[in-house]
Amino acid sequence: MTAPLLKTTGLRVTGPSGVIVAGLDLEVGHGEAVAIVGESGSGKSMTAKALSGLLPRGVSASGEIELEGDPIAQWRRVRGSRVALLLQDPFTSLSPVHTCGAQIGWAVRDRRRRAERVRSLLAEVGLSADVAGKYPFELSGGMRQRVAIAAALSADPGLLIADEPTTALDVTTQRGVLDLIGELRRERRMGLILITHDLRLARSRADRVLVMYAGRLVESGPADEVLRAPGHPYTARLAECDPPLDRRLPELVTIPGSVPQPHSVTAGCPFAGRCDLVVDSCRTTTPSLVETGAGHLVACPRTTGEGLAPSPPVSMDRPEPAEPRPADEEILAVRGLTKRFRGREQPALDDVSLTVGRGDAVAIVGESGSGKTTLARCLVGLERPDAGTVEAPSRIQIVFQDPYSALNPGMTVGTSLAEALAAAGRPRSEVGGLLELVGLPGAYARRRPRALSGGERQRVAIARALAPRAEVLVCDEPVSALDVSVQAGILNLLAKLRADLGLTLLFITHDLAVARQVADRVHVMYQGRILESGPAGAVLSAPRHDYTRRLLAAVPGEE
Amino acid sequence: MRRLPVTIVVSVVILTVVLACAIAGGLIAPHALRQSLYLGSVGAGQAGHLFGTDQLGRDVLQLSVAGARSALAGPVLVALGSMLIGVLMGTVAGYRGGAVDMLAGRYADLLLAMPAILLAIVVAGLLGGGYWIAVGVLVLLFSPSDVRLVRAAVMEQASRPYIESAKVLGIRPRRIMFRHVLPNVFPIIVANVLLNVAFALVALSSLSYLGLGVPPGAADWGRQLADGRQLLGSNPLASIVPGLLIILTATAVNLLGDWISDLLDRKVATR
Repeated sequence: MTAPLLKTTGLRVTGPSGVIVAGLDLEVGHGEAVAIVGESGSGKSMTAKALSGLLPRGVSASGEIELEGDPIAQWRRVRGSRVALLLQDPFTSLSPVHTCGAQIGWAVRDRRRRAERVRSLLAEVGLSADVAGKYPFELSGGMRQRVAIAAALSADPGLLIADEPTTALDVTTQRGVLDLIGELRRERRMGLILITHDLRLARSRADRVLVMYAGRLVESGPADEVLRAPGHPYTARLAECDPPLDRRLPELVTIPGSVPQPHSVTAGCPFAGRCDLVVDSCRTTTPSLVETGAGHLVACPRTTGEGLAPSPPVSMDRPEPAEPRPADEEILAVRGLTKRFRGREQPALDDVSLTVGRGDAVAIVGESGSGKTTLARCLVGLERPDAGTVEAPSRIQIVFQDPYSALNPGMTVGTSLAEALAAAGRPRSEVGGLLELVGLPGAYARRRPRALSGGERQRVAIARALAPRAEVLVCDEPVSALDVSVQAGILNLLAKLRADLGLTLLFITHDLAVARQVADRVHVMYQGRILESGPAGAVLSAPRHDYTRRLLAAVPGEE
Repeated sequence: MRRLPVTIVVSVVILTVVLACAIAGGLIAPHALRQSLYLGSVGAGQAGHLFGTDQLGRDVLQLSVAGARSALAGPVLVALGSMLIGVLMGTVAGYRGGAVDMLAGRYADLLLAMPAILLAIVVAGLLGGGYWIAVGVLVLLFSPSDVRLVRAAVMEQASRPYIESAKVLGIRPRRIMFRHVLPNVFPIIVANVLLNVAFALVALSSLSYLGLGVPPGAADWGRQLADGRQLLGSNPLASIVPGLLIILTATAVNLLGDWISDLLDRKVATR
């Protein structure tokens, strides 16, 4: 039997504040694709960095890493030629001042063959030879990621580690890049470690899946089996949190609480605090990995080997109105909105018209550059359109994507909310009520944003938007920077607010499954125009426009 | 809390001593300006005069202690004054953009286009010199870099979601600028004020050296340095001591400024 391509035994990563990855055994065979799945804080990215020898200063790894049976002593020799790393963001992982050809050729030793090698690598990743002479900023995101792949392949590595390689890309480009990585892996018999937060993507692209939680491996096994019949409660809950694209759930499953810091877990199962199957022994003894099926390992004492039944059976789908009731009253109307940014050929908005009825939930879906964000900004007055009219109530508020810069870091939550209340002429005493409205304890008023998790910050941002008794809430990708389990909580909150307060929601998103859960009506935007509008069910199940069809087909796990 | 670096401890000690001298100079060195015509200029080691005396027979050590006041007061005032202009103009220009921004930009360009020290010499010369005139001129000359610095930092914050949310909430622009944006660019402001103190100390000393700052005979390190030139043969310490003091104080302020800005940056980063 030959040695596996990569084998780690007891890989531990330790940072300044303690353990980040607590002992990981991992094996990747030649030509095998292994996905490491986890939410933020699970230690998956640090594992990738440790495996490529690129740990940041102050972070160190211990344990054994073997490549084809040889222990790794010198990273310089290994990196590039045997292990290559593909990073998430193709906008920052390439040097802006060197041509793509030069960057691909850096790892090619033989000068005379360099140009020829670059050409063949470009052909291999499906780009034409003239890309070699271009700079990264002249290319689209998908093309840049292809260039990054070509550069990673230039020294013929045996193992490719891809850290969220398509998270920064649009769905339609995502699929092409993933297909390419899959093909290259098969042709070159290259090992692949795919780091991702997306369970569906892991299932459709990997042979085996490793699920990490708080720096520990909680489950591993064949991709299909792990996700069809998960053995660990965490995996089961995580899979349920992922909203489906084909139907609307009455309420999304969430995991209460948040991922603990890996170093704060001393004894017992790291998931014990959030698990609904928890028993006393979970809190005291650290579960070890037990084989429940062929190659299927689970670190849970309660596992039966049968797989956990999906807990609350999804019986009552919230009936999706076939044709949303005709709005009694229009609350928002946009007519002929046009906006062109200086120096851009393509208008950001091109004659966009739409109306929203009071109490409706409308999703605007589109990829980056479709103009959906510009539309949102025009609605709340942050951008002035070149032409067209916006009729919106004065009490229209917005929630942004990035929870980390959504709140003033220097102000306590209470001060931020009190200020928003004051601007609307309301007393400070309503702060507690606002926090309660978004499901946060009143004591949070004294906290500063840095003491809050991403989901909690987003809740505060929603509370602030509600402070002036907003009638319309524009949400610009409010959940796309959050983990799935947290995302579900925010979506549930928005649905509840809509029902309780009669709030009108305008939900901007690139995620079709999220749009399905939130909206009654969907507008699909592309290059500044609305291509298709209609009831959510009709647009997302039976799209009429070609572009919508392409968008739907590109969603991972829907092939 | 990590241990303080040695350089920072030394800098703080130096600045504390200088500050103490500036505040309580009269108590520490009551005879700074007493001239001893009988003794004249003597070298180091004379009884009661550790560093000797200057050309007027004044004790170099006591005079240097008394000089701490003008070494700190002026530069601190220059740094704060120019930063006040910088904060007011830079914040409004960076947040509002448009015509205000254009005007602030031209103001900065105009002042930066002129050779600063030369201009200071000319203006101070025209107005007849004097310490406070020199301070006033330097406030103006130091302001354009502060305007640009604050403007850039404010622009960076202004596009952040928390600022845009505040706009949509209808919070008044003045409140957004000074309650939301400004506290978040504070580290940069503090660091630059400290750096400017060091520059201003050197600039003011240069003006005094050229005879455009303090009047002749006043206790001032730049002045001492200039007056000591004639004594290089008999008592070189008369110019070496104030020269070293300028260098030490300026370096200490600089090091402290760098350290504080690092510290505040890290504090902001961990938010």
